[in-house]
Amino acid sequence: MLLEVLHMSVFYDKAMLLNDVNLGVDEGELVSLVGPNGAGKSTLLRAITGLVARDREISKRSTGGEVILKGKIRFAGEEIQGVPAYQIVKRGLVHCPERRRPFREMAVRDNLLAGAYLKRDRVAKASDLEKVYTLFPVLKGRSSQVAGTLSGGEQQMLAIGRALMTEPKLLCIDEPSTGLAPILRKEVFTKIKEVSLLGITVLLVEQEVSAVFEMASRNYVLSSGRIIAEGTAESLLKDEVIRKTYLGL
Amino acid sequence: MLLDIVVSGLISGSMFALLAIGFSLIFGVARIVNIAHTAFYMVAAYCIFFFTQRMGLGSIISMLLAIVMVICLGLLTYRFFIEPIREHEAAVLIGTIALAIAMQEVMLLIFTGDFLSVPSLVGGFFSIMNVKIFYQQLLTFGAVVAVLLALWLMLMKTRLGLAIRCMAEDREVANLMGINERLVAMATMGISVGLAAFTGAVVVPLTIVNPFMWMEPLIIMMAVVVLGGLGSLKGSFLGAYILGFTEALVVFLIPKGAFLKGSVALSIMILVLILRPEGLFGIAFEEER
Ligand SMILES: Nc1ncnc2c1ncn2[C@@H]1O[C@H](COP(=O)(O)OP(=O)(O)OP(=O)(O)O)[C@@H](O)[C@H]1O
Ligand SMILES: [Mg+2]
Repeated sequence: MLLEVLHMSVFYDKAMLLNDVNLGVDEGELVSLVGPNGAGKSTLLRAITGLVARDREISKRSTGGEVILKGKIRFAGEEIQGVPAYQIVKRGLVHCPERRRPFREMAVRDNLLAGAYLKRDRVAKASDLEKVYTLFPVLKGRSSQVAGTLSGGEQQMLAIGRALMTEPKLLCIDEPSTGLAPILRKEVFTKIKEVSLLGITVLLVEQEVSAVFEMASRNYVLSSGRIIAEGTAESLLKDEVIRKTYLGL
Repeated sequence: MLLDIVVSGLISGSMFALLAIGFSLIFGVARIVNIAHTAFYMVAAYCIFFFTQRMGLGSIISMLLAIVMVICLGLLTYRFFIEPIREHEAAVLIGTIALAIAMQEVMLLIFTGDFLSVPSLVGGFFSIMNVKIFYQQLLTFGAVVAVLLALWLMLMKTRLGLAIRCMAEDREVANLMGINERLVAMATMGISVGLAAFTGAVVVPLTIVNPFMWMEPLIIMMAVVVLGGLGSLKGSFLGAYILGFTEALVVFLIPKGAFLKGSVALSIMILVLILRPEGLFGIAFEEER
């Protein structure tokens, strides 16, 4: 297993957001994580990539509520639950966050270079930039445009491109299709498939269940902080209860 | 008259810009409202006085020494005093006020409350259209422009600059890019107080050194930042010149306007807060951590 999450529980201010979650992603897989609004999908990604631990550190030093993080995260054979977020990136575990969150006042090109922050080799940086531009030609034409002026679809491409610049082994993408028109959603999914074909392992959080079930090799269903089902699309869709109550299909 | 206004506006505008940009920088990156910012400027002015007048060192050496010393002081206070309470906004506010007063008291103890002065680096002046322009004014203006340019290049062209810009926009995503926020915040604090020290250094020959000299620029700097929008460097830059020129206009156009000088900043601050609280280029505070 490339990524293993073992018995993970997360509390924010006494509210339990994740409840004994176990999840695993194998090298080369594209795994989906679906579930209703507020299920805790984003929280799970944030816990994996160190952002919950960061919140915990901040809460310790401020008057905000207490954050508790329990359980183990193993990535590429090493336990990383104590590693700070900015060092987790270095290991190849990368998070493309919800709502895309581009650096709005920076040029597209600078956004992408921010992804290459840890790389010092100029030549490697330039060639990675070209690779991203090849995958997302729209970005190339807008490289000196400020990211805040891009359309939603373009911003999503930028967010994925920026994440790719960090050279991920495992890329966690949070709701890339939300807020996009149907044609653009399709394009985003096509791009994610291409990323997966490049050999990058993907953990994809989505609301658009039918679309991701077509792409993913395995799926997890999260509800109220618990993994309530896991398996291939067929096996999940066979189960009437899961299909109706949790997937809304 | 017109030229008077231009010269005065450009020089005070540049000073305000240096101070306000330094203040905005650390606010943008670490959300620290550093009330002690201009106190560092005061300490730098005293350092220059001490090195040139008491130790007899050359002006350039004294300036460099003063800037280095103030940066060290800034980093130490940041590391041991501000950083531990960083996430606690009210504590930072109160803490940095205390810090400023502490620095003021220390200077008062060492140098007493006497008004001190440092002679110009370069003497003499020339006249255009009956307006005296002192070489010292020109030098100050030139140095300020050079530093502003260097700062801009640093922000736009270097790795640290990229990290600073990322942090100023989204600290959490900056982490996801592999940026070590503690280190970048520390470096930014160094740059920020370094700018304050530099301002103190270039302003020294044009002003009077005393332990309370941090208060007036603090108010002006606050007005600039409110006008430009908290956290926006572009806003601080423009706001500084707007304020600088407004002040010059009031001083030269209104009879006895010099007495009104102090109220310009406050009036602008109050007007902006009423009409457009986010300032010219203010950032909307979304949920962000
Ligand atoms: N900082 C926080 N403090 C307290 N509760 C929080 C915090 N962040 C999220 N929550 C709550 O935790 C629950 C899970 O949130 P999360 O964002 O992980 O859900 P999600 O599955 O990603 O939902 P969505 O599909 O809407 O993105 C929600 O009920 C949310 O209100
Ligand atoms: Mg979410």
